[in-house]
Amino acid sequence: MRFVLALLACVACAHGAMSRQVASYDIKATLDTKTHIITGHEVLTWVNDSPDTVPALRLHLYMNAFSNSKSTFFRESGGQLRGDQFKGDEWGWIDIRKMELDDADLTGAIRFVHPDDNNADDRTVIEVPLPRPVKPGETIQVSIVFETKMPMVFARTGFHKDFYLGGQWFPKIGVWETAGFRYSTAGAWNCHQFHANSEFFANFGKYHIELTVPSPMVVGATGELKSRTESRGRTTYTFEQEDVTDFAWTAQPTYLREERMFLADKETTPQEVAAAAKLHGIPESEVRLSDVKMIALVQPEHREQMERHFASLRAALKWFGLWYGRYPYKTITVVDPPANAAGAGGMEYPTFITAGTFWKLPPESRLLEEVTVHEFGHQFWMQLVATNEFEESPLDEGFNTYSTSKVMDQVFNGMGELPLRFMGVNLWKLLGFPGLRSNSMNRAQYLLFPSGDNLLRPAWQYYNSTSYGINSYYKTGVALDTLEAHLGHDTMARVMRTYHQRWRFRHPTARDFQKVANEVSGQNLDWFFDQFFFGNRQLDYSVGDVINRQQRTPLGAVDRNGKRVVVTRKEAEAQDDKNDDNKNFKKQYECTVKVRRLGDAAVPVEVWIHFKDGGTEKRTWDGQYRWVKYTFLRGSEIDWVEVDPGRKYALDISYANNSWESDYNIRLSTSWTMQLLFWIQNISLWMTSLA
Amino acid sequence: MTVLQAIRGAAGRVALRKRMMVAYWFFHTLMAAFVAVPLAGVAVSNLGHSRYGAELARGFDLSWLVEVYFYLQGGPLAAILPMVLLAVFLLFLGSIFLSGGAVKMLVYDGPDYSPRMFYEGCGRYFWRFLRLTLYSMIFYGTALILQRILRKLADQAWGEGMEDHQLTIAGWVVSGITIVLFALVSTAMDYAKVRLVTDDSRKSLRAAFGSMRLVLTHLGKTMGVWLVLMVFLAVFAGLYLPLSNWLHGGGAGKILTLILVQQLYVFGRVWLRMMAWGAAVELDPFVRPKPLPPLEPVFVPVAPGPEPPEFLAGATAEPEV
Ligand SMILES: [Zn+2]
Repeated sequence: MRFVLALLACVACAHGAMSRQVASYDIKATLDTKTHIITGHEVLTWVNDSPDTVPALRLHLYMNAFSNSKSTFFRESGGQLRGDQFKGDEWGWIDIRKMELDDADLTGAIRFVHPDDNNADDRTVIEVPLPRPVKPGETIQVSIVFETKMPMVFARTGFHKDFYLGGQWFPKIGVWETAGFRYSTAGAWNCHQFHANSEFFANFGKYHIELTVPSPMVVGATGELKSRTESRGRTTYTFEQEDVTDFAWTAQPTYLREERMFLADKETTPQEVAAAAKLHGIPESEVRLSDVKMIALVQPEHREQMERHFASLRAALKWFGLWYGRYPYKTITVVDPPANAAGAGGMEYPTFITAGTFWKLPPESRLLEEVTVHEFGHQFWMQLVATNEFEESPLDEGFNTYSTSKVMDQVFNGMGELPLRFMGVNLWKLLGFPGLRSNSMNRAQYLLFPSGDNLLRPAWQYYNSTSYGINSYYKTGVALDTLEAHLGHDTMARVMRTYHQRWRFRHPTARDFQKVANEVSGQNLDWFFDQFFFGNRQLDYSVGDVINRQQRTPLGAVDRNGKRVVVTRKEAEAQDDKNDDNKNFKKQYECTVKVRRLGDAAVPVEVWIHFKDGGTEKRTWDGQYRWVKYTFLRGSEIDWVEVDPGRKYALDISYANNSWESDYNIRLSTSWTMQLLFWIQNISLWMTSLA
Repeated sequence: MTVLQAIRGAAGRVALRKRMMVAYWFFHTLMAAFVAVPLAGVAVSNLGHSRYGAELARGFDLSWLVEVYFYLQGGPLAAILPMVLLAVFLLFLGSIFLSGGAVKMLVYDGPDYSPRMFYEGCGRYFWRFLRLTLYSMIFYGTALILQRILRKLADQAWGEGMEDHQLTIAGWVVSGITIVLFALVSTAMDYAKVRLVTDDSRKSLRAAFGSMRLVLTHLGKTMGVWLVLMVFLAVFAGLYLPLSNWLHGGGAGKILTLILVQQLYVFGRVWLRMMAWGAAVELDPFVRPKPLPPLEPVFVPVAPGPEPPEFLAGATAEPEV
């Protein structure tokens, strides 16, 4: 099947393109800032690169998610997403005024469909039967006249005063999935409704967009700016980009716009390039990065944070590039949305990302860096490796969480501080709280809901939005940390690069990642994927009973020189007393350790048993039964026991019960109790002064 | 009487009551321990014999907090939460109880400390002070309402803007105002306690409102004392915080030193509390006019100190301020 597809792919491969350009858009659009309406004309060029005959088209009308409270998006979200609430009456919608294929008018044939939930009030997906089906390999051009009303921004797209963020703003075709493509068993449209907890999925293509806005606007968008023409108070910006899956833009008159160059040879040392080439066994020329123009659009009140945006982009361009492959586009634009438009922040589009920060964000707090690196990371996990965000959100959010944490810990020494301030005073620093490591933050959030859902599920089918977040981001991050600890850093690095390179400009599934992991590691890792990616097993190993029993003189009828002799209790006790008094007598202990598996996940695990004489016994337990017992006859008692001493399984829900030591940690309990006492004394004294 | 005179006078009064302060600190600590020990016990119970404990002591890991929450969720947390809430409530009552004795001892400047007098004061004034606390809610409530109004106004002015610095600064200002308002009420309640003790009155409501008026009419003196005491607190905290950050995560010697330093800081705060009441006792006769015979003020001999409270008790009507 894939062979057939590869042949057909040539149909979609434009000259010099890196991807199969299946869905390309040529749009002329004008923004009216009084009505917040975009009027546009779109020419959609769609290639049927499947062996199927396609009888109808399906398109996303994403903006209709914001048209009323009956849309699936609103029903699921209750009008609030990621902490931002929809307020006021500025709804959003999109209407198709006219739709034509060749000379046939399709407008009348458009009907709304609801493949995910049968919500008849949802108008985010349309189906258009074609006058004649699209043959395999055939290219069609659909002309669409549309009108988009921007909503008040609260979920990624919309406007706030004179700030605009245009995302999901034009009619966008779904993905035709032929049998064998991803999980598909028969040719069908993959065109999901707009859900609260879900992002998007699209084919690659070429975008040519002419956007006309009032001239005072400062504009940024996906791709390269090709031209800028002004006439009668309006400016038309022409942007172009090949090999991307979407197009977004922003406009605001007061943006501070600056550019910097990422110069690959300056940002990376020859040693770094050589090390990466050696690790992956590829020539250095393949590792070397390319120069990128970095553009930042920043709010005036965040002027002094301008360079922090560039520093974050530099770090991300460098490390994502060295680890997974060079960033292939010429530009990257980062947008800092204004106050009260945070819903537009923290979002990724091809070559165009939105971040977010606060006024006077202290440099010790790495929120700005984290969100910028994360959104940039989506250029690799979502854009270049274009997974289906509707159906497998961990593949974009989770892989990106894993990679982002690595960049943060490597370049910025973790997340730093949280901006805990009272009346401008930095309480975090004042109280001496420690810096935060990203992987520990990921684990902390994973522990809030460790196994209530399968890691992989359609985004709108998780238990709730918290579970969506925990599984899509943090649990996947922790699971990949676990996989890395299991495989070792170098093997994991090769797995990740191989997966990225093999699936760059394509649309893999979690099974494809599993295949690469098995292949590159040379191990069968199905046990890992089945339990933690496709299942919901909970991992919890624990040290159970630890018993040291001193060997006493045996009682009863025993064989002595071939004769049966009865050792009485009295005799045995006398012998024991004698032994106890004898300094040279070597005591023997029967030491028993039971290790338990409290969770339902079974993984091979190391167990170390350390004795007071300094010796250590190391065992590997397959974890198949609920517990295992180890018994030793030794001249000394057990000092400590540790399950998974290398802390490979970050997925284990309790580190505390993974070990046991004979000495009670009185230092810890004393100092923590006294610490707590101190705080309660203080609270109580505040109460006294108020009462 | 100036603010500094009041502070000096209060320091003298408090210096006479060292043993009482130790007792006050001791009972306070005991009550706090009732809350802290079971809480810490449960939290640390899964670490006592775990090697993870030593690791956490070296470098704290945030994820342990969630781990312990997850571990406690099943039962211990549900069992311990009502207990802790009850303990906090008892702590609250206990602190009111102790303040009765403390204020009495500070008002009475006779011979040295007698434990009996202290406990008598605790018992004698408990209900009046408790009522006083309830009445103080009226003022605290007003302060909170004012805070909300200010926040709303700020929100209306800048809440929907394109910039967040105005609202952030407004937030700081409102927080500052709220702190001052709370300080005002708390100072008034100090005066009310002193008044209830010196007059041996049971009229907590009148004391609350009278003292509020008193504080507002003598804002400079009363809040001046508060400000000076806040400077003391800032100095104590400024000494404590860097030292404690340095002592954290150390060996046994450092842990013991930290415990000592913490309790010294707590003792410093007990001293400040006593100073607040002591200063109120000092200022009370000067800011609260006594109903004296209006015609012959010259004949009143200048007393070396306020008359013993027993003399005043019931002898004068509630003074109107
Ligand atoms: Zn993301």
